[in-house]
Amino acid sequence: MSLGQSLIRVGTQGKVRGETRYGFDMPQAGDLHLACVRAPKAPAKILSIDPAPAMAIPGVVRVFTAEDVPGEHRLGIIAVTQDQEFMAPGWVRQPYQCVALVAAETLEAARAGARAVKVEYDFQPGVYSFEEAMAPDAPLVQPEHAGGNLLRENKIKQGDADAAMKDAAVVVEATYTTERVEHCALEVEGGRAWWEDGRVMVKACTQNPHYDQADIARFLGVPVDRVRVIQAETGGGFGGKLDLSIQPFLALAAWHLKRPVCLRYSREESIRATGKRHGLWMHFISGADEQGNILALKARITGDTGAFASYGLAVNQRAAVHATGPYRTANVDVIARMAYTNNTFNGAMRGFGCPQVALAHEAQIDAIAAGLGLDPFDLRKQNALRQGDHTSTGQLLRAGVGLLECLERIEPIYRKWKAELKHTDDYLEGVGVGAMFYGIGNTGASNPSTAQVEWMPNGRVTLFTGAADIGQGSDTVLLQIAASRLALPVERIDLCRGDTDKTTNAGATSASRQTYISGNAVMGAADNLEMQLLQGARDMLKERHLEVELRGGLLKTSDGREIEPAEVVRHLAKSGVRTMGEGRFDPNFTALDPQTGQGRPYAAYAYAAQCARVRVDTASAMVKVTDVAAAHDVGRAVNPRAVQGQICGGVVMGVGMALMEEYVQGRTDNLQSYHIPTAADAPNITPLIVEEPEPTGPYGAKGVGEPALIPTAPAIAGAVGQALGRPMRHLPITLERVMEALNAAEGDTNCED
Amino acid sequence: MPLKFTLNGKEVCLEDVPGEATLLEVLRQRLGMLGAKEGCGVGECGACTVLLDGKAVDSCLTAAWQAAGRQVTTVEGLAQGETLHPIQQGFADTGAVQCGFCTPGMILTALDLVEQAPQPSEDQIRRAMSGNLCRCTGYHDVVRAVRRGAKYLRGEGEEQ
Repeated sequence: MSLGQSLIRVGTQGKVRGETRYGFDMPQAGDLHLACVRAPKAPAKILSIDPAPAMAIPGVVRVFTAEDVPGEHRLGIIAVTQDQEFMAPGWVRQPYQCVALVAAETLEAARAGARAVKVEYDFQPGVYSFEEAMAPDAPLVQPEHAGGNLLRENKIKQGDADAAMKDAAVVVEATYTTERVEHCALEVEGGRAWWEDGRVMVKACTQNPHYDQADIARFLGVPVDRVRVIQAETGGGFGGKLDLSIQPFLALAAWHLKRPVCLRYSREESIRATGKRHGLWMHFISGADEQGNILALKARITGDTGAFASYGLAVNQRAAVHATGPYRTANVDVIARMAYTNNTFNGAMRGFGCPQVALAHEAQIDAIAAGLGLDPFDLRKQNALRQGDHTSTGQLLRAGVGLLECLERIEPIYRKWKAELKHTDDYLEGVGVGAMFYGIGNTGASNPSTAQVEWMPNGRVTLFTGAADIGQGSDTVLLQIAASRLALPVERIDLCRGDTDKTTNAGATSASRQTYISGNAVMGAADNLEMQLLQGARDMLKERHLEVELRGGLLKTSDGREIEPAEVVRHLAKSGVRTMGEGRFDPNFTALDPQTGQGRPYAAYAYAAQCARVRVDTASAMVKVTDVAAAHDVGRAVNPRAVQGQICGGVVMGVGMALMEEYVQGRTDNLQSYHIPTAADAPNITPLIVEEPEPTGPYGAKGVGEPALIPTAPAIAGAVGQALGRPMRHLPITLERVMEALNAAEGDTNCED
Repeated sequence: MPLKFTLNGKEVCLEDVPGEATLLEVLRQRLGMLGAKEGCGVGECGACTVLLDGKAVDSCLTAAWQAAGRQVTTVEGLAQGETLHPIQQGFADTGAVQCGFCTPGMILTALDLVEQAPQPSEDQIRRAMSGNLCRCTGYHDVVRAVRRGAKYLRGEGEEQ
């Protein structure tokens, strides 16, 4: 069967032929083009908007402002923080917020129109950091928010961290920071909308078509069924296409003008107008006994979510829950706080706060090892979460804990690299380790997926899923799960994906959740379909108690008859019934206690360990990550090649986060100034798959998309730190930071550890 | 101004091409060659790569008039009907295609490389491909894809 086979991804033929049409490729002849008028800075009151100069440009059809929004202005993925205004209604909260939208017959006219719209602003004092936001009398970014500028505080309290710290043989304390990171999916946001039979159709790139549909309907003030969203082929997302971007503009224009419209961001507009990864400030105090057993963690984490909450709550909560890293820690005191500011908003990006806290928890364990004179790798194994352990939220890990095996898989590689380390006059080498655990799916909240599998009268089978494949491979994985469940070759199954008219809600392609959650929903749908076929066969044969099974694509009865399932389907169709199995899965969770953060936030966790080898050029301060070995416990690799692809992609994104990526508003607005790793920057990667089955996963599978990235930057920071003889606690590890460390090391008489 | 060049082996003749038009704009907007993508518009990402007389160029930085009288190859011009070009086959067979947005540009850059270096080393591949950004694969499978494609092109069949 197809499960566990490295099938070529669905859609590969079209992609290598250049025939695949992305949201970006949607514009058609006769479409109106849209362009956004964006505020230069924030906060500001809008004194006036004069569309007349734009309307005077030949080809400009209409200029929309907030007054043209028929429904709710404030949208957002998390129900309690719907606060993003796509058309600024009288005030601007963040730079580059859209204040007007121009529709024109050509792209050139639309852009000229956007430049011509005259907007008068009254700029106001704002807040641009966590500290400024929390200062007494700070101007409020979202006066409607009950907590002032504090978006949320999340606490994790277990045991008595202060008391345990007093018993510790070693206490290590340090501050870590990470910067804002841009997703840089290669496809910039693009799509098209049109009017059809009294409804608005939106076909655009997205990670969550059913959410888009719901919020577009709110924006237009219409029932959900007046909006259809079709996921266009999506050229990467990494969290950047979870929030709405172009969709409200497309829908608004198509709604008013009753004409097809298209919109595509330039790279600059994409970088300026969409969310980023939060930079976090993290102060960690860890204590361990003489043997190196971690006794306690006290952590304070702060972040700036920008002007709109987006996924800020999720990032804050996840950072708190994962602050211990994948290590047994009985006494925990974590407080994570996130504030609104007038910066462009930060939202979801691969890992939701976990890649940030991983820098801290991994450096802390290295510091404990150094303090006690113990081996940092052994210390990780010693403290690694095992089956039967409890997490910092008090969750008992019953099964599926593959961390130790991940560590054991990379250990020989780590030991070999360490033995080979060289320090010459020209370069310094180092090796570092990173480990992680990651809760699959949303944190302490319901996040179901649904799916259908239908046996068609023509004998083919169709899988219906709302799960957005954005390149990671869920189409292929879900087909493999359906095929395996029905014992059919994958080629027998057609896919209908990401269309709100034809598929039901599968939730977001985020939180590494589609294989685990939608995979379970698909499995349930296949089982339900099988049951309907067996029942239908008995009904057709008029033998209520006949034993029937589905095997090799045929229904086989205990008395030796073989029936084509399609025959049963056609029989059932006579009474108007479709032979369609329904599946639904929602992970088993409990909400976290608001005071203590205790609870079971996730039904399953993925685990991983990576080690990195780096070479630092002493003259230029250039860091080259030469090798990374990455072991990931994915429960079960439904498609091993796809898993390896995720691992390698995550590792290189981690190289970017570690060494080069930092979004500076107004300065790094295109790829000339915002650098992501190239083929020449990428290390040799050894992806290793560990399969510790998750009992609640489909065929034991969990997820890997985000875990792939999380341990990399900490491993690189550890390696550079080892090479330079001092810990690197701030990302990205730029040339300046390396140079500073090299110069400082020269001044030391004894910098070797 | 009028513009004539050979696109994927066929003569094309366009009227009224603005002097400032880029080759990418002409390919996408006038000729429907949507395989060439715009990822940055400033020559950094390589998603718009096409071959101009066999050499890989960023079509977003190439003025349309520069193509006059020359051979332009886009990804659409590689496959022979059902049969993929060996480089395309290399990408398809190795899992080097995830979201696929960078893939057409990658394939054309790789083709330029293997025309010059039929048996490229890993270092050559990484250097040649470093103008084509990918955010999905970490380039691991891209390197394998180019190597496999080169092997197919040499007629050596599957790489072990």
